[in-house]
Amino acid sequence: MIQIEAAPDEIYDIELEHSLLEANAKLADENRALLDRHNATAIDFMGAIGSGKTTLITRLVEKLKDQIGLAVFNGDATTSSDVEQIARQGIPVVQIATVNGCHLDANLVGKACRKIDLHKIRLIFVENIGNLICPAEFPLGSKARVVVVSVTEGPYMVRKHPHMFLGAQIVVINKIDLAGAMEVSVEDLTRDVHTLKPDILVIPISCKTGAGLDEVASALRDA
Amino acid sequence: MHELSIASAIAERVLEFSETNPSRKVLGVRVLVGELSCIEPEQLSFCYTAIVKETVLENSVLEIERLEAEVLCPHCSYRGRPKFWEEALSDVAVATLQCPRCGKATEALQGHECIIRTIRYA
Repeated sequence: MIQIEAAPDEIYDIELEHSLLEANAKLADENRALLDRHNATAIDFMGAIGSGKTTLITRLVEKLKDQIGLAVFNGDATTSSDVEQIARQGIPVVQIATVNGCHLDANLVGKACRKIDLHKIRLIFVENIGNLICPAEFPLGSKARVVVVSVTEGPYMVRKHPHMFLGAQIVVINKIDLAGAMEVSVEDLTRDVHTLKPDILVIPISCKTGAGLDEVASALRDA
Repeated sequence: MHELSIASAIAERVLEFSETNPSRKVLGVRVLVGELSCIEPEQLSFCYTAIVKETVLENSVLEIERLEAEVLCPHCSYRGRPKFWEEALSDVAVATLQCPRCGKATEALQGHECIIRTIRYA
């Protein structure tokens, strides 16, 4: 830091080069290191309200809970209805209430990590707040970020929210059983994702019919 | 509205300066925002103005400088401006991580920043 002494009535600039996102990024690295020490991995799920994040996590828990130690952190502004749905599966679930916050941050996820016995856990699913913009700016310390989109959000939702996809490794296109009724092309959505970021893994699924869920489960287990 | 939490972090840092330099008046703060970040400059300014009201920072100006994105392609070694998706939306071109030269995935070298550059004071 360079400090310049100012004489009265003179205008000066002090150089700071102070990163505003660094504090969160540092905590995210700490979370990742903590999980690594316990041989555990976190996957975070982002997506709009109603895209099917909670339902997808519930289906994945059903598939994986007998194979590996699982936990779920559920970010929700106020309600606990999503947590209750997942807790019925008999795995550790932590609700992270952000009150009015529009995204999870690494500090909250770090606190949640310390609430469970990490020795028994291999995989943590972190459900972010239903929001397609704000969470992109705040890494949490996860190994992979998953964006859940659904055909009911219309044909342009990928190109309207590019930032969310630039930071993700996996995109799940949900509710493909409704694609015909919605007149939304899963192929066009997939092409949009790959235009933004060619190396993203795109998996079309339906939580209702079960299509594609095995592929998601194995991609996350190997993440 | 993550701009609100970022504006709070800016105000907090500038207030810290103000407290350690009580004889100085803060005139403004210059912030650098990367092209790939999803921080909306107008909302950030609005939030800052609202937060500093009735504090010693009232009337200080938040200036936002945009930092252009730069990408590196691990496949063909291209380094430079990202590829823009012109027809993505009707009014704005969208920056992508597709290599403008070989079409494979690039990595961003810069463009995600949000940095307080300088505090201007008298």
